[in-house]
Parts: sequence; C-alpha cells; structure tokens
Amino acid sequence: MKKFLFHIILLLIIFSCKKEEIGPQCLNCNETPISNTSSTDVLIINEGTFGWTNASISLYNKENNNVNQNVFKNANNGTNLGDVAQSFLQINDKGYIVVNNSNKIEVVNISDFTSLATITGFNSPRYMLKINDSKAYVTDLYSNSIQIVNLNSNTISGNISVQGWTEQLVLLNDTAYVCDMTNNNILIINTITDVLIDSIKVGISPNSLVIDKNKKLWVMCSGGFNEENARLMQINPTNRNVVQTLTFSNINHSPSSLSINSNKDQLYFINNSVYQMNISSNSLPSIPIITNSGNIFYGLGIDPSNNDIYVADAIDYVQNGMVFRYSVSGSLIHQFTAGIIPGNFWFIE
Amino acid sequence: MIKPLFILVLLLLSVDVFGNNETIDTIAGKTFELVDQKIPKQYKKTAFDSVSIVESHSLSELIQQHSSVFIKDYGPGSLSSISFRGTGASHTQVQWNGVLLNSPMNGQVDFSLYPTIFFNQAELHHGAASLLDRNGALGGSVLLKNSQDFEAKNTAFIKQSVGSFGAYKTEFSSAFVQNKWLFETQLYYYAAQNDFEFKNISKKGNPIEKQKNAEMLQYGIQQGIYRQLKNGSFGGRIWLFDSNRNLAPTITKDSSSESQKDQSFRALLEYKHLRNKLSFNITSGLIKDVLIYEDKSAKIYSKSNSYLIDNLINTNYYLNNKINIINNLNIRFETAESGGYSNIKQRTQGSWMTGFIFSLGRLQLNVFNRFIALNNVFNPFAPSVGGKIQLLAKEQLYLKANAGINYHYPSLNDLYWNLGGNPNLKPEKAEMTEAGFSYTKTIKNSELNLDVIGFYNYVSNWIIWLPTEFSYWSPTNLKEVENKGVEATFSLSSTINKLTIKHNANYAYTSSTNIKTDNELDNSIDKQLIYVPFHKFNYTLGATFKNTSIYYNYNYTGLRFISTDNNWYMPTYFIHNASISQQIKFKKVNLTASFKANNLLNQDYQAMAYRAMPGRNFLFSISLKF
Repeated sequence: MKKFLFHIILLLIIFSCKKEEIGPQCLNCNETPISNTSSTDVLIINEGTFGWTNASISLYNKENNNVNQNVFKNANNGTNLGDVAQSFLQINDKGYIVVNNSNKIEVVNISDFTSLATITGFNSPRYMLKINDSKAYVTDLYSNSIQIVNLNSNTISGNISVQGWTEQLVLLNDTAYVCDMTNNNILIINTITDVLIDSIKVGISPNSLVIDKNKKLWVMCSGGFNEENARLMQINPTNRNVVQTLTFSNINHSPSSLSINSNKDQLYFINNSVYQMNISSNSLPSIPIITNSGNIFYGLGIDPSNNDIYVADAIDYVQNGMVFRYSVSGSLIHQFTAGIIPGNFWFIE
Repeated sequence: MIKPLFILVLLLLSVDVFGNNETIDTIAGKTFELVDQKIPKQYKKTAFDSVSIVESHSLSELIQQHSSVFIKDYGPGSLSSISFRGTGASHTQVQWNGVLLNSPMNGQVDFSLYPTIFFNQAELHHGAASLLDRNGALGGSVLLKNSQDFEAKNTAFIKQSVGSFGAYKTEFSSAFVQNKWLFETQLYYYAAQNDFEFKNISKKGNPIEKQKNAEMLQYGIQQGIYRQLKNGSFGGRIWLFDSNRNLAPTITKDSSSESQKDQSFRALLEYKHLRNKLSFNITSGLIKDVLIYEDKSAKIYSKSNSYLIDNLINTNYYLNNKINIINNLNIRFETAESGGYSNIKQRTQGSWMTGFIFSLGRLQLNVFNRFIALNNVFNPFAPSVGGKIQLLAKEQLYLKANAGINYHYPSLNDLYWNLGGNPNLKPEKAEMTEAGFSYTKTIKNSELNLDVIGFYNYVSNWIIWLPTEFSYWSPTNLKEVENKGVEATFSLSSTINKLTIKHNANYAYTSSTNIKTDNELDNSIDKQLIYVPFHKFNYTLGATFKNTSIYYNYNYTGLRFISTDNNWYMPTYFIHNASISQQIKFKKVNLTASFKANNLLNQDYQAMAYRAMPGRNFLFSISLKF
C-alpha cells in the first residue's frame, strides 16, 4: 500500500504544477501596440469565431504594405475586443467598433486604439450611423428597436421602435434610411424628432444601401434564402418611389455588400465575384471586375482616396482570412493575411 | 432497395440459420449465461470495469476519465460529443444492446444524455474493431449492454446523492427472477443548478462569476422483461428518458435564454439462441427522439422528430474447432421531420457482414466482407482482415494486426438541410490499418495487462460544411484526413488477503491532419484537426480493503488546436478526482456511504473554448442494497 501511495504522490507532484493558461491562446497574436495611425491606413474588421471573443482589428498601411494584427488587444494590455466585431465607424478622432455578440460598442482613440469607453446595453448591435456630433443610431438584430446613442456621454439615450432586424443605414439631410431585413422595407426616420415616419417596400432581405451623387438611394436585396430573385433597387428618396428594379437572373444568387466610390457614381457589390456598375446603367453588369478564382468573397470596401477595391476571403471561417487589394481597374495590387473572418473595411479619414 | 435486401436475407437464411437442423443442448458446464458475439482478441477494445461505470455520472464522464478517447465537454449539463482516433463526432457509433442510437439527423450522440445506471456493461471498440460492429464507425464504437442474468438473486438497490451546485440524484434498480422470468427495472432522477463559480478570463481583471442559465433536470426509466428458454432467451426492454436543460452561454456572454428538451423513447425485442454449434441473436429496436430547442430572446423555437427502426440478426456458426463462421445482417430504417427539411425525410440502409475466424495453434485469423445497400445504391466491398499470433508457447504475448475499409454514410442533415443540404454526397471512406501487441501475465494474486497498438487511418470523402458562393453553407466530400497514432493500456490488479488493488492507465497519441483543400490560400493543410488532443492520458486506482474502498482518477488532456490554421489552441488541462466509500453489512442489507471529490485541486480549465467548467466539487451518496 505504501508503494501505491508513493506512486500517487509522485503523480500529484508531476502533474500538479499549475499553469496559468486558461482558455484559448493565440500563438502569433502579440505585437507591439501601434503608435500613430494615418490616412494611409486601412482597418480590417475581423468578426472572429462566433462565441470566442477573438474578434480583432487588423491595420494595413497602403503605402508600405505593413500589416499589424490584433490592434485593439495589443493597445489595451491584452484585453480581447469581444465576440463578433460587426462594423466600424470613425467620428472625428474616435473609432466605434460595434461588437455584435458582446452586445457593446467599444470607443477607441483612432490614433492608437486605446480604449476610451464602452457603450453597453445593446441586444445585438449591427451598424452605427452618425446623425450629428452628439447623436448616433445603432441598428439591431433582435431588440426590435434602433438605439439612439449619446456620443458625449457614451450611453444609450433612447430608442426608436421597429419590428425585427434592422441592418445597414444611411443619412441624407435630416432623414435616415434603414434596411429592415424582417419586413423587407426601407424605414424612413426623421433624425430631428427620432420618429419613424414611413417605409418603402423593397425586395426580400435588403442587406445594404448607398446614396449616389444624384441623391438617389440604391438598395441591394438578396432575395433571402432562395425565396425570390435578388434585386438591386433604385429609389428616389424625395417622393419615396422606386425608380428602377434590376432583377438578378439566377435565384441562387445572393448579392451583398453594396458599396459606392468617392465620386458616388460607381456601384460595387459582391455576387460571388465583384461587380462594378455605373449609376446611369439600366441593367446589371454581366462581367465582373474581379473574378473569384476559388475564393468565397465575404467583405468589400472601396478606398475613397483612390477607389482601390478591397475584398476578403474568410476561407473556412476557422482560420485567419485573406484580404485582396485591387486597383480601380481590377488588377491585384497586394494580398495579405488578416484575422479570423475579415468582414468589413474602414479607411481612416 | 427491397430486392437486394430480400436476396441478402435469402442468402443468409439458406447458408446459415435454418440450414442447420441439429438440436444440441446448451453448452454443458457453464451456468446459463448468454454471451453475445465477442470481438476477436486481435482488436483493440476498452472494457470498462463496473467500478468505473458506477463512479461515473454519465457516459461522457466514463469515457473521458477511463479511456484514451477524447470527449468534447461543453460543461455540466451541456452537450458532450466525442472524437475517437481523430475523427468527427458522427464517426463514432453508439449501440445499446446492438441497436444503433446515433441520430438520423446529425449522425451524432450527445453523451451527456446517458446516465450510467441504465447499462451495466460498456466497452469501446477502437478503429478496425468497429468494422465488425456495423459500417460507419470510422473512429470507433461505444457499446452499452444490459446483461441478462437468470441466475442472479433478487436484488433492489437505491441510492440517493447530494452534491455541489444544487445536485440531487436518485437512482433505483432492481432485478427479480421467478419461474425463468427476469424483471429488471432502473429509475433515475437528476436535478442540478450548475451555478458554479469560475474565473472569467474573457473579462478585464478576470472576475469570479457564477455560471448562468445551466439548470437541468433529467429523469428516466428502463424496464426489461426476459424469459429464459431452453436454448436461449426472449424478451425486451423499454427505456424512456427525458432531459430538460437551459443552455449556458459562453463566458463571453452575460446571458443566455436558450434551452433544450430531449425526449427519447427506446424499445427493443431480443431473441437469443445458443447451441453447441450455432448461436444467434435477433434484435429489433425502435427509437423515437424529440428535440426541442428554444431561444426566447431570439424568438426561435424549433422541434424535430426522428424515428428509427433497427433490426439485427447476428449468427455464429462453429463449423469445427478451427473455423467459426459469422454472418451479421442489419436493416435500419430512419425517418425525420424538422423545420430544417422541406418535407419528411427517410431512408433504409442494410448491411450484411459475412466471414470467418480461423484458429490454428497459436495463430488466429479472420476475414470478413460487408455488403451495404442504401436506398438504391449497393456497395459490395468493405472488407476487413485481422489476425494475432502468440509469440511464445508459455507466455500470453500476442502480436496482432488488422486492416479494413469502412464507409460512413452522410446524415439526413448533410443530405437534405434546407438550405445547403447536398443530396449528391458520397459516403465517407476510411482505410484503416493497425498493428500492436498485447501481453497478459498472472503471477500469484496479480494480473498484469499491457496493450499497445499503432494505427493509421486514411479518410477520404470526409464531409465538410463550407461557405458557398450563395451566402449559405453546404457540405461537400472535400476533405481528406490522415489519422495516425498510438494507444496504450496498462492494468494491474492484485489481491493480497483482504486488500484488492486495481491500477488502470490509458494513453493515446493522435496526429490527425487535413491533407486536401481546393483553396490555395487555405492554411489548414497539413495541420492538426481542431479539437483533437495530441496527448491524452488517464490513470485510475481502485483499492478495496474489507468494506472500505478508495478510488482515485487522474486525467490529462493535452493541447488541442482550435483554429484550422493552428494559430489558436486550448492549453493542456489535468483533473484529479477521488472518492472513498464505506460499506456496512446488516444481515441482508448492504448500506454504503460514499464521498466523492471532483477536480480535487480546483483547477481552472476549459475543455472547449470559453465554456466554463466547475472547480472543486463534491458528491455525497448513501445507498442501500437488498
């Protein structure tokens, strides 16, 4: 018996040296904090794996092609950004990172990404829109409301009731136009009174929208999961009438990420490949500007300074994704690795 | 479909079962005990001893703590799935007295839903061993059995346990034999709050928090009735099990409103026949599973029903003392309805395994082939061969080697999930080889067992769900995986006067790499699959002196990568568990009091990313046995 006790004690000693590593660890994530971002920097917002809090921000410098990973974590003593970084918005010298599954918005100093505040109390925040210097709107997947954020106090100051999932949103004069994914509408909100005043019926699953130089609204409706053919719709916000509807021919197609260049005369979107379309066109483009060769494109961004096209491939969604940078004519300039599920871009102003 | 199966049945019947009209009495000398087909010794199996089964709360805990197989444990009350020899959760098959329990929908089994009270024998068939069970277990199979003991004394057993985090458990079992009838009952009730404290490493300052939304309630009953016949037995079982649980959030979330209800109805009829030359058993099982998932805040409510009927005829014919012919036939019907399917889905699968075991002196060989039919597709070739040789005449030292081909058919979800399901999927194919040795030595009152086996499995057409160009995910047969490793088991038991000591240790090294992709950017090539630990080890000590028993378990789970590019990993963890129990005998009543401490050293750890696990916790039990 003594012998066995001895063995047990031996085992206890061998295996009991406490390690401090608990939970997921990253092998190549620690870098020195960044010092000064500039207008030559592009942010890549990486969602991270659902449930893991490994959402991250990558910083790409378009002049020297230098990439910094995990910019938020490295600037904030190793604190994780959170779970599923959905979108980013820069307002003056502050950055707002909407972290969907962590139900929060992280406010950072845009120059070094040190945390300034955390806006909490959301349900499932998606996109943020600046209304004025002290007010912003945040759409939500589940809360049946659009949250109104006070930018001075970094708190939720109120909300606008809606029904269901609200997605991307844009501002034109004193009116916000919001994608209503549940009811297939564009919601129209008076941003002075914060009142929902009207809605425009569009196709199934309006996922993105932009405003062109003629102050016309373009809405991409993916058609849901094979429920109907996808549509790109042009809307006149003044009379709230649909100007034209361009229907995709294949019901399997699920276009997304409608974007616009800096002159606001060229539309871009992902439909398997990346397509470009002039706002004066009456038909959908048939030839892509960037052909996907085996990639599944996920996020899309158009650099307002030179109209370079940035597009991401999340590969299998369980490893670091890849970002491709193309020139305005569609030739590849550079490609680099970002974080897990790169889904959004922001070009620092 | 019906035609080939019908031919198969004819073939089988004409060759074997009814072709033999000899009437031979039960094998003499042995008390009446019905033994199922046993797997030849050249194959690797882990047979759990009764102490390990009783000490373990559920099948999940039993496998994690007493074998080299890795369990993906999402926390107390949460899902628990398995990774056997580097394969996926659907590549392990779980049988209950021969009836395959895997869900027709996702092909998996949630190991947290199987309390150990409901079976009294359990074993794992590793790798090639599972080729003999069914088709489809590319990693291995888990066999749960209820023995039929017509010689047993009438017994009743009741156990009440109280534990940390609001755990209450009541277990009852009884066995009653009269006039060749055997009545067996098991009852189970378990409720727990699971509101344990953990260090939340996902938050600033790592605050101590309480687990939220992890309450659970499980209850069930199993009733068996068997009739002893002249050369066998006939009878059946009914097993009802209900589980209600809230699903705890990951530690990165502050709340969860998810809950899950699992309701199972399982029934089987068995006819066992044992004669001098021919033994066979016929089993027919019916399983109904209902799964209700609800997320109140997201307003999601989904309910799915699945039914399966599983029929088996296993025969064993002793041609002479050298050759033993085996024919196993299986016909399985599966159907499921779910919001995820456009309509009710169903299919029929049949398989017939035929072959023989040949013994000559110190050499034993076996050769089998399996014919598989699924709906209208016939697959005639899934062979397996194996053998062992005793190296020295006087020593129980065997060299052994096995090889075979196994097919795993896609689940109904893989085929029909709306959207994404791919009806054109091919079956996953594993080419399995293994070789090793085993050694058994008995000296005086001690018995030593050592078993070491190395394996190499090449799995092609591995089904993987990937994003498509149409914004939804879809499965393809894209992946190819190379699994290789070593499994070792050591056990030593000795009895000295009134002291009995048992040591048992298991170790596995598993290298499981992805070797194919169609995306040149994919960094998962030649990397370890996620959640496959390179090293796993456990050790169990059981010692009994007179009426006092102690039990100690140590288990070590090595680093697991959790991103396919192997940039993220989960660190190693190791857990100590121990218990002590004291038996007091009054005439016909045995009273046992036991005290168990889990996670003795209060380790902070996670088995799965961001799933909280409890620290040190206790369970106190009192049981009475009549």
